[in-house]
Amino acid sequence: MFCSIHKWLISRAVDSKKQIPAFTKRHLGRCDSCREFAQLCGSLKQRFTHDTSAILEGYNKAIDQKVISALPEIKESRSTLSRPGLVPNLFSKRTFLVPSLVAASLVLVISISILFLTLPRSKEVNSLANISDLFNRIYPARILEKAESPLEKEYTELKETIKSTAEFLISRLDVRLGQ
Amino acid sequence: MDKVIILKDLSDEELAADTAAGSRSSFEELISRYSPRLFYFLRYKTASDQNVEDLIQETFLKAFRNIGRFDPKRKFSTWLYTIAARQAVSLYRANKTKKPSLVPMASSQDPQEIVIQKQESQNLWILAGKLSQKEYKALWLYYAEDMPVKNIAEIMKKKKVTVRVLLHRARINLAKKLDKSVYSESFVGENPAEHKFSFSEIGEI
Repeated sequence: MFCSIHKWLISRAVDSKKQIPAFTKRHLGRCDSCREFAQLCGSLKQRFTHDTSAILEGYNKAIDQKVISALPEIKESRSTLSRPGLVPNLFSKRTFLVPSLVAASLVLVISISILFLTLPRSKEVNSLANISDLFNRIYPARILEKAESPLEKEYTELKETIKSTAEFLISRLDVRLGQ
Repeated sequence: MDKVIILKDLSDEELAADTAAGSRSSFEELISRYSPRLFYFLRYKTASDQNVEDLIQETFLKAFRNIGRFDPKRKFSTWLYTIAARQAVSLYRANKTKKPSLVPMASSQDPQEIVIQKQESQNLWILAGKLSQKEYKALWLYYAEDMPVKNIAEIMKKKKVTVRVLLHRARINLAKKLDKSVYSESFVGENPAEHKFSFSEIGEI
């Protein structure tokens, strides 16, 4: 009955790489079965290591070639500076994700516009016109014109630059325009 | 030639990182390192060698496709064996294959072959093949792969204490299967019964 406990303690000592308890050591002195078990546990590591190399020698290496030939092709000599572990995954995800995202957003925009054009507008939708009126009242035309002024300003600047360039060229080359 | 030498010097984790960066030859080196070990790890669970070959192929393909997810801080062997164990479980569930025996069949009466078979049967792994699947797996990972109990628990999806119990049961059952002449081989020339037990002989205890 106690032997099973002692054997468990021997096994536990092997796995946790600790000493066998003193009372188990005393038990081993008088129990053949437990002593043989302890001897077996002690020799297992060495014997399994030896037998592993023996059994691995019988392995058919043709399987390796089969596995290698089944691997999908990848681009060799990818930059080693790139983060290891992320490159192949992100690369494949990007190539797949970007077109699908663009397609999805296009479908979304088209379907919304179709819905907007075909469905009868409710009162809530009609109220958009009122909002537009309100917007016009709050922001008069002048303010809106001012909002567009950067473009106009640029246009004017460009016109002036061309004019001054033309004047400069006329004066330098002595071209008499309009004569 | 230089590249081969360099690859052989690299650790598994370095090779995995190299594969993630696009080196196919690094993964081929990993295949040559692990396919024999996976073969004998998986052989127990499947009915035929063909199934084992397919499992190895599936395992490496899955590892290759997901190598980007492998964290080089972890042990590559634990990661690969986890994939292999899952693949084996899936196949086993799908096929419900019967357990094969690792013990060679005595199909011939040729004395020379009988001697070879006897020698093979003295290999502890052949005897371990008669144990339960879980016990065999735990033994393989512990002794052949030299993995700590923690990693075995991770691969087998068990608690550490469960793995210790599995290992203990495996040792007990192995002791039952071994006749005295086999497991007292290390004490050749001595009568095991008279052998004075010394703790220094039990290296790990």
